Amino acid sequence: MCHSQGGWGPPAGKIQSLTEEERAHILPILRSAQWVEVGGRDAIYKEFVFKDFNQAFGFMSRVALRAEKMDHHPEWFNVYNKVQITLSTHDCGGLSQRDVSLATFIDQVSLM
Amino acid sequence: MEGDERAGGAKARPGRLTALQEQLIWALLESGLSKDILVQAVGEMEKNRASVGVERGERGDGESSEEGEADFPPPIFREIEKLPADEVSKLRTEVDQLLQEEPWHVAKMVKSYMQQHNLPQREVVESTGLNQSHLSQHLNKGTPMKNQKRAALYSWYVKKQYEISQQFTNAKHGLTMVEEQGEETKKGRRNRFKWGPASLQILFQAYERQKNPSKEEREGLVEECNRAECLQRGVSPSQLAGLGSNLVTEVRVYNWFANRRKEDAFKHRLSLDTPYGNQSASSNPALPASPEHGVKFTQQMSCDTVSSARSNGGERAGRLMVSPIQLEPSHTLLESHNPKLVSGSGPLPPVSTLTSLHSLSASPASSQSLIMASVPSVMSLGESSLLIGLASTQPQTVPVINNMGGGFTTLQPISFQQQLHASHQQPISQQLQSHMAASPLMATMAQLPYHMYKSDSPPYHSSSLLSQAMVIADSSSLGTLTSLAAVRQILTTDPEEQTDPPLQEDSMHLQPHTPVPVSSESLELYSSSQTTERHQSHLLSPSPTDISSYMPTQMVSTAQ
Repeated sequence: MCHSQGGWGPPAGKIQSLTEEERAHILPILRSAQWVEVGGRDAIYKEFVFKDFNQAFGFMSRVALRAEKMDHHPEWFNVYNKVQITLSTHDCGGLSQRDVSLATFIDQVSLM
Repeated sequence: MEGDERAGGAKARPGRLTALQEQLIWALLESGLSKDILVQAVGEMEKNRASVGVERGERGDGESSEEGEADFPPPIFREIEKLPADEVSKLRTEVDQLLQEEPWHVAKMVKSYMQQHNLPQREVVESTGLNQSHLSQHLNKGTPMKNQKRAALYSWYVKKQYEISQQFTNAKHGLTMVEEQGEETKKGRRNRFKWGPASLQILFQAYERQKNPSKEEREGLVEECNRAECLQRGVSPSQLAGLGSNLVTEVRVYNWFANRRKEDAFKHRLSLDTPYGNQSASSNPALPASPEHGVKFTQQMSCDTVSSARSNGGERAGRLMVSPIQLEPSHTLLESHNPKLVSGSGPLPPVSTLTSLHSLSASPASSQSLIMASVPSVMSLGESSLLIGLASTQPQTVPVINNMGGGFTTLQPISFQQQLHASHQQPISQQLQSHMAASPLMATMAQLPYHMYKSDSPPYHSSSLLSQAMVIADSSSLGTLTSLAAVRQILTTDPEEQTDPPLQEDSMHLQPHTPVPVSSESLELYSSSQTTERHQSHLLSPSPTDISSYMPTQMVSTAQ
């Protein structure tokens, strides 16, 4: 989930959720990357497991820094070496391009 | 938790970092933070934290955090209220680079940039909190400046460059950008307009052609000047906005011409402080007054001093002897040497003349005037000076500063500047400064030094602009004749006229041929504090013979 917080960005609420076309195109890709659609809401979810806490938290730090830059934040939970992430866009009540973009980034970082 | 048992808690490989620290650092580095910036930031943060901690310790208060920050970096680091932008880090790196360079090199860069864009020091001082004198010395003379202060200066410099380049690129002719960016809007003050050298050249040339240009002509000059200023700054002539507060406008041109005309008039008026004043075609009602005034003044002065030092010359107060022309010494200590016409002008000198006195041309015949050392009067008189008239055809001016021992206590530096647009004479550059020494000089019977002017000076008086001052010099100070700026060759600037030593000797021994007895004490030369090097050549005539051919005009210092 993301919250646009302060800053200069365009007024929150102007984010468009993915069109049907886009969904049809993108969701399969995400699915193949182990992102699953959450039931009951328009969101995607994935779980990450790391070797240890440090790595997990390092990963989270990277994601956090990126999220700040994007002004789009994940919903996540962490216990030791596990990180569970849910992505959705609060302003449009569903998936948006930002979620897709962040998801891609998360995947990249998780492999480091 | 199970993690504790693993090596996770132990120090990891890279030096003293834990795995997590490593991770975090990696994360930071990967997020686009460069190593340099990271290190820099760490340094700053530590500083802030330190000062905050100190403050807290002292006050144990929450409010200390802000003050801590204010004190440690000089609280006057306002210029680092940089526009928050990506530029900030760029600018900061630039500043750091400059700090690595030779301070003097950077100082020269900054100084020349300021000159190029005609930026006042005041602006730098205001936005950096640096001391103005210190700043000036650092830029002009390389006086050392601590790193923190230099950092402030360079920050201003870098920021200013950025601002100005923005002004130029966003050259909306409405100049709205300029107004906001230029000066501190909170002060609501723009920098005072200043004429650049390029523009001045154009203006003076135009002035020579015509002193009173029409509106169209003025507008033409506006264009020309702005173009020149832009070129000087290396910018396309159409980017006027970048000139900021130094943009030339029609009003400014108008004012400039008006001031120059007033200046001219005033100069003439001054130079006509003489009975000959009436000779000028245009009689200046103010003229009769001033010479008298001047004369009286001098006379008084001279009387005072005369009494103290009698020369065998009798009561001559700074008489100027001119061979062909005998000036009545007793009357006019102040004799205008400038029979030239002076257009009547008001009693008040134009403002600019107070800063730059222009030399006056004077005919040899009438060019004699005493420069009184009194501060106010001398200043206002401008170039009235004692002219040691020599051959009639040769305008010669000897700056004389009459040192009235008792009467004068102030050293009066008088400076004469070349009048750029002397009527038809060669440009005369004169800078005259002389100091009146205090009483000790009075006592000395000094030889008369004169400054002979080259014979090439045009014989007519009316147009020559000579500023002359009699300099009464100490015999001891005669040795410093060479450095005397007071005596200035009005007419010419021939470098060949530089035989100081011989001249001095000669002057020492010159005897007046005129009936007027020349007392040995007549002249005392005061070395001026000015840089006299450039004046030297003008002070003394090249050959001793010349001198002797001249009627030694002797300024009796104390005016007997």
